[in-house]
Amino acid sequence: MNRTSEQSIQWWLGVVDISATAVAAGSLRLEQVHHAIADESFNVLARIPVIRPVSESVRVVHHAISGLSYRTVAGIADTVHKLSGLQSKTLARISAESPKA
Amino acid sequence: MTQHTRSANWQDHASAILSGFLGDWLEHRASPLAVDLQFFHRGLPLCLNQPEADQPERTLVLMIHGLTELESIWDYPDQPGVNYGTLLAQLLGATPLCLRYNSGRAIYRNGEALSEALDTLTRHWPVPVERLILVGHSMGGLIIRSACHAATQAGHSWTALVDSCVYLGSPHEGSWLAQAAHSAAGVMNRQSRDYLKAVGDVLDLRSEGIRNLSRGEVLAEQRGMPPLLPGARHFAISGLLVNNPEHPVNTLFGDALVLDASARGTHQPGWQLTATACIPGINHIRLTHHDKVYQQLKEWLR
Repeated sequence: MNRTSEQSIQWWLGVVDISATAVAAGSLRLEQVHHAIADESFNVLARIPVIRPVSESVRVVHHAISGLSYRTVAGIADTVHKLSGLQSKTLARISAESPKA
Repeated sequence: MTQHTRSANWQDHASAILSGFLGDWLEHRASPLAVDLQFFHRGLPLCLNQPEADQPERTLVLMIHGLTELESIWDYPDQPGVNYGTLLAQLLGATPLCLRYNSGRAIYRNGEALSEALDTLTRHWPVPVERLILVGHSMGGLIIRSACHAATQAGHSWTALVDSCVYLGSPHEGSWLAQAAHSAAGVMNRQSRDYLKAVGDVLDLRSEGIRNLSRGEVLAEQRGMPPLLPGARHFAISGLLVNNPEHPVNTLFGDALVLDASARGTHQPGWQLTATACIPGINHIRLTHHDKVYQQLKEWLR
């Protein structure tokens, strides 16, 4: 029994599904990790009165830019995930409607 | 001897590995990557309601693989289609069968599914089944025990046909590696730092099947261990990494994944195994295709 081309396509759509889900969830978790590690440094800088005003501004800008980047990646992955789901359902519907040999 | 007509391809292997680690999640999402429970005879899938086998015999030898594996794990290296099942089938006049399943599902769920499948198969087998020999590697051994328990609860008659259950490196009392993953996840999740919790989150992604392996759980809830199936013979074979049985490496790691005591169920109350064997110098994976193991099986099952 070899995989039919439809099974193979479904398998690859499954790979896209799991990859997109991993990237979407992973990028949001990575954002938290990135900010937590960055905060370790920013917290040290915040204890120095001369630097504190500047470092706090930099922290806000840093978190905003990195957050935007991670969420953009997560959004794209989420869109790919939804498209692969639609494609999978369409394939399954075509397969169900096509006459059996 | 008829050789396999089809071997598992790389996509099957990838699905088996992914199913081992994330099988319950894949099943929940109805992912095409999740492995379905299926019987194979000489490399071909078997229809349970209308099983077709060349020369169906009254004795069935069923081989059940372990976590992240496929039925191809049983084949001797460089001898596709030759495994304990086919060799025992020649010796005993039996039909060899292999099971493929989603090893990331909870063990009790795979046990229930196997119990139902064996009920269907034995009722539709072309000739009356008189003898069942079940051979499980690692998690496969726990699934045998779970299926026997589920069948007893459901009143399935196939349990009366079970002659022997063989457990090859099955972690009846848990696997040290699964226990280590469980402990590490717990420690990481208790940390206040987000980046350490993230490591715990990754470890927590492991499937229900892997979680069950940490304590050798075969029931839906941890309510003690079910007794071994009465009326059947039960054999356990364990491996050890190093040839010297007393070597500290063997004490620490056993066959690499399962310690000798766990493979024998040493601390299980009321267990009476018919026989046990420990084969030094054979690691966890080689237990599935090693001549010394086959010689032991031959001695016990003939």
